Amino acid sequence: MSTINFAAREINFKIVYYGPGMSGKTTNLKWVFQQVPQNRKGEMVSLATEDERTLFFDFLPVDLGEVKGFKTRFHLYTVPGQVFYNASRKLILRGVDGIVFVADSAPNRLRANAESMRNLRENLAEYGIRAEDIPIVLQANKRDTPDALPVEMIQAVIDPEMRLPIFEAVATTGVGVFETLKAVSRQVLSRVAAG
Amino acid sequence: MVEPAITLFGDAYERASSVLEELLRESGARYAMLLDRKGFVLAHKEALWAPRPPALDSLATLIAGNAAATQALAKMLGEPRFNELLHQGATHGLYAEEVGELALLVVIFDNSAPVGRVKLFGKRAVQALEVIAQDAVVQPGNLGIDHEYRDGASALLDELFGN
Repeated sequence: MSTINFAAREINFKIVYYGPGMSGKTTNLKWVFQQVPQNRKGEMVSLATEDERTLFFDFLPVDLGEVKGFKTRFHLYTVPGQVFYNASRKLILRGVDGIVFVADSAPNRLRANAESMRNLRENLAEYGIRAEDIPIVLQANKRDTPDALPVEMIQAVIDPEMRLPIFEAVATTGVGVFETLKAVSRQVLSRVAAG
Repeated sequence: MVEPAITLFGDAYERASSVLEELLRESGARYAMLLDRKGFVLAHKEALWAPRPPALDSLATLIAGNAAATQALAKMLGEPRFNELLHQGATHGLYAEEVGELALLVVIFDNSAPVGRVKLFGKRAVQALEVIAQDAVVQPGNLGIDHEYRDGASALLDELFGN
């Protein structure tokens, strides 16, 4: 749910990067953080374990600029991907406006992708949200993996109806990162404008 | 847009700001913020004498996450909720209390403000803020964002992230 603060003339949107452990959610955020100019971003907050696995969430606020007199800001979050951390993953979804599902292209992660998508649907359902009712964009990450699965195969597993847009990415070098973020942001904007 | 949102503007914003100001004055705290449960800042005030606060977005996000985790813990223990959250270090302290279902009051203070005083005036402020927040709840779909706004924001996405 976006939040409007008319007095401060701000509109804020919450976008959550979801997906299995080690699929590259934090790497997406790090790339955005590195590339966005200093005056258009806030601090990046990472609650991670010592070996850099996300423990609770990563957070990065990005200022889009001013639109019709409103400062517009996207709050980007990642969830911890490991199955173990579902309780905290669920908390991060509260009030979400749009989701980027980061899938891993490695063959041995196909099942983890599917399980994570099922978990996303279950956690959204706990907030009374159907996955069909919220903007979701898929990202097939790690396309540089030597034995990367075909994108169609990954999508068939996480989105069998082929309903969602999917982007190929190599988040470590930034390939596909902005495209994915733009796509989900546009869907979020369209959705709120449509009311 | 699946949950109701709090939209503070005009008179409601002014009233919330005066409650926060009064709270700072009476408690001797440094900063007071009204957040929604997702970690967005709805209103904030700083004491005139206080140094610049840390990044408000980061503070708000971490406090909302912390509060959400605390509520989840309460439920696991069979409690409907833990009403307040208090952290105290050698110099600084942080006090957070629920404001109805959708918002949180956060007070950050140093050791010149006794914690009992912060809590007393904090609870008083919550009562006033709860009424204001209830009046400011807007149902999904009534936020007043139009297509012109969407198109403007979309153009800025291209400017920031490239075509």
